[in-house]
Amino acid sequence: MTPAPVLSVRDASQVFGADVRALRAVTLDVRHGETLVLIGESGSGKTTLLRLLNGLQTPTSGDVCLHGASIRAQDPIEIRRRIGYVQQDAGLLPHWTVADNVGLVPWLLGWEPARRAGRVDALLDLMNLDPRRFRTRYPVELSGGQQQRVAFARALAADPDIILLDEPFGALDAMTRHALQQQFLGLKQRLTQTMVMVTHDLDEALRLGDRIAVLKEGRLLQIGRPDELLRTPAHDDVAHLLRYRAEGRRP
Amino acid sequence: MTGRVTHAAHAAHTAHHRRHRGRRGVAALLGLALLLSTAGSNSVAARDGRVVVGSKNFLESKLLAEMFAQLIEGRTDLAVERRLGLAGTQVCFEALRAGAIDLYPEYTGTGLTAILRRPPTGDARAALATVRAEFLRQWDLWWLNPLGFENAYALAVPRARMADAPLRTISDLAAVSSSMRAGFGYEFLKRQDGLPGLQTRYGLEFRHVRAMQQSLKYQAAAAGEIDVLDIYTTDGRLAAYDFVILDDDRQFFPPYDASGLVRGAALRRHPELGAVLGLLTNAFDARTMRQLNYRLQEGGEPVETVARDALSALRLITTDDAGPAPPPGREALFPYLWSHRTTLITRTVEHLALAGLALGLGLLAAIPLGLLLERRRRVAEPVIRIIGLTQTIPSIALLAFMIPVFGIGEIPAVTALWLYSLFPIVRNTYSGLRDAAPRAVESARALGMTEGQILHWVRLPLAAPVIMAGVRTAAVITVGTATLAAFIGAGGLGVPIVAGLQMADATVILSGALPAAALALAIDALLGRVEVWIRPRGLQRDPA
Ligand SMILES: Nc1ncnc2c1ncn2[C@@H]1O[C@H](COP(=O)(O)OP(=O)(O)OP(=O)(O)O)[C@@H](O)[C@H]1O
Ligand SMILES: [Mg+2]
Repeated sequence: MTPAPVLSVRDASQVFGADVRALRAVTLDVRHGETLVLIGESGSGKTTLLRLLNGLQTPTSGDVCLHGASIRAQDPIEIRRRIGYVQQDAGLLPHWTVADNVGLVPWLLGWEPARRAGRVDALLDLMNLDPRRFRTRYPVELSGGQQQRVAFARALAADPDIILLDEPFGALDAMTRHALQQQFLGLKQRLTQTMVMVTHDLDEALRLGDRIAVLKEGRLLQIGRPDELLRTPAHDDVAHLLRYRAEGRRP
Repeated sequence: MTGRVTHAAHAAHTAHHRRHRGRRGVAALLGLALLLSTAGSNSVAARDGRVVVGSKNFLESKLLAEMFAQLIEGRTDLAVERRLGLAGTQVCFEALRAGAIDLYPEYTGTGLTAILRRPPTGDARAALATVRAEFLRQWDLWWLNPLGFENAYALAVPRARMADAPLRTISDLAAVSSSMRAGFGYEFLKRQDGLPGLQTRYGLEFRHVRAMQQSLKYQAAAAGEIDVLDIYTTDGRLAAYDFVILDDDRQFFPPYDASGLVRGAALRRHPELGAVLGLLTNAFDARTMRQLNYRLQEGGEPVETVARDALSALRLITTDDAGPAPPPGREALFPYLWSHRTTLITRTVEHLALAGLALGLGLLAAIPLGLLLERRRRVAEPVIRIIGLTQTIPSIALLAFMIPVFGIGEIPAVTALWLYSLFPIVRNTYSGLRDAAPRAVESARALGMTEGQILHWVRLPLAAPVIMAGVRTAAVITVGTATLAAFIGAGGLGVPIVAGLQMADATVILSGALPAAALALAIDALLGRVEVWIRPRGLQRDPA
């Protein structure tokens, strides 16, 4: 049986300026507890779709519902504090320490300092970053992979039930990327959060996603489980994407 | 909020503080502007028993003004305020008309041609009659009886230049002018009774005409770099140079009888003023004037001393002084700086006060404006461009524009400097906020910070070094431009520079220019340190 959708996008279109149609009539549901991966080539509208989900962007037409209620009717600030967000390039505040960055949302929500500090340390531990060494560092003093992990910890800080991730393993070298993917898989088992994650790497999508949504030029081509996509690609472009991967993997 | 790690809290705290100070600043500024404008228009009414004497920025004008001042002080109960060295005819006249000064020395020919814009006349009596009637009718300004000498334009040629062809008149010059290089003062080049009219009357066609500062012309002529120059007939330097003054055989140059130009209001309020100034009627001839000027220009004696000697020689004032002090010789730079240290310190303090006040008011206006523009991006660029226009107005012109509104002295000087300080601060505040770490701003928004929190906690601290860089630029501009405040009587280190230029005395020029340059460098270095200090720690590549 299918759990009720946490987020649902209804016929949403997004037009920038006069003629940039970033999204065209996209409809999809995000189910409770699943990891939905958005995949598509550069400029296909992945980030734009993600930004609709926490109200960073209001669709030009159509609607987005959170737990069944249109987000147009809700306070966007409130919504964003309840949804974790990991940006395409970490986006840490450069003048704040690691601890301040991770504790950002709890601080906005008015947590007690002691509770905040405990949460920060626990999350750094979870991310395999020794709190004693990393708490007081600034983002410039971290490697790219460490920055991504801090950004991830920051998204989890207030224990949100939804997390949005925009290419969290984007600009990383293959080894770090792989290690973080493994760590993510481990976390996924322990966390109950619903996640929506953007990537343009099909391997990553197949490995981490419970379901995959394929976007092209702002249109949703197909959404389904990895095996469904592999078995019955609904569109030439999806088939092409999968074949390309298959060829790429031949020794 | 108390639990935030100190640095973020600190950066944000200063930002917060700045914002609030900014809001209060706008109110304070409005109040100040109001105060300044009333001070400007009421300055005459406000002073009782006080007369403001002005002069142009050349020594004879200062000398005559100083004589007016000492005579009034010596023979009436009125207190005198001196505003000597204002930049040129226009500035003096506007200051007089606006009531910022009560009188200044003027020449009938200047009144006729430069102010009334009438064609020059060769008739001295007709000229005086015309200016008297017109100034009275148009502006209630009174010309005193002439002082007895004329300081007219004339052309001079170094005698050395005449070895092959002796010249006696301007007509003689016209015959050979195509081989002559001329150096003329800026006013002479522009005025109807200067070069343009002279060229038409005599058909002069020089090989080359250079615009030159008064005193530099003499040196250039003596060095053989120019062959013809314009001079004033009472110029003391004529005694020191071997120049032939050419006869104006076609009576082109209008008469320039020296006199005093006084506000009618001042004469009515203080009837004794007219009587006392009348004592100077026909008191000096051109030769006496040239000697007095020589003492000022070549002897480097202070205007006060020469004026006192001249008045006591006429027994118009009594002095208990044991004779004139020996004229000071030209000194080397460092002894000069040392012996004038108290004056220079005063000038430096004046200078800093002018620049500091302007910069402070600039901060109070420009930072809030930058914040406002950041929220109104559509109007930001045009507004910043308009403010940028102030940077293109030549400083001396901007100072001159201030006079009809604010009179002369510190208020218009600070206002002009304030205008100059705005642009770099507004521009950097705006662009610093706009461009501050866009990805960090984006993530702060995505995690649920309000726009106000983003400004306060992210944008302002990250923009602080850029804003500070703008403040630093503004500070250096303000300190540099404050040297020009001397032209409208606001004091500062420009005073020795202007005086030195008139005396062609490099030591005196440097005594103002060196401290001014040192001040600019010191302030730049100091604010450079502040810029580093204000930079949030995480932005430093190499954390301490
Ligand atoms: N704020 C904006 N203004 C104008 N155009 C925009 C804006 N944001 C996105 N676009 C355009 O919308 C389209 C989709 O952009 P989006 O960022 O969603 O792509 P993406 O799939 O995330 O690409 P990438 O993989 O490169 O991150 C692109 O053509 C982009 O240029
Ligand atoms: Mg993207």
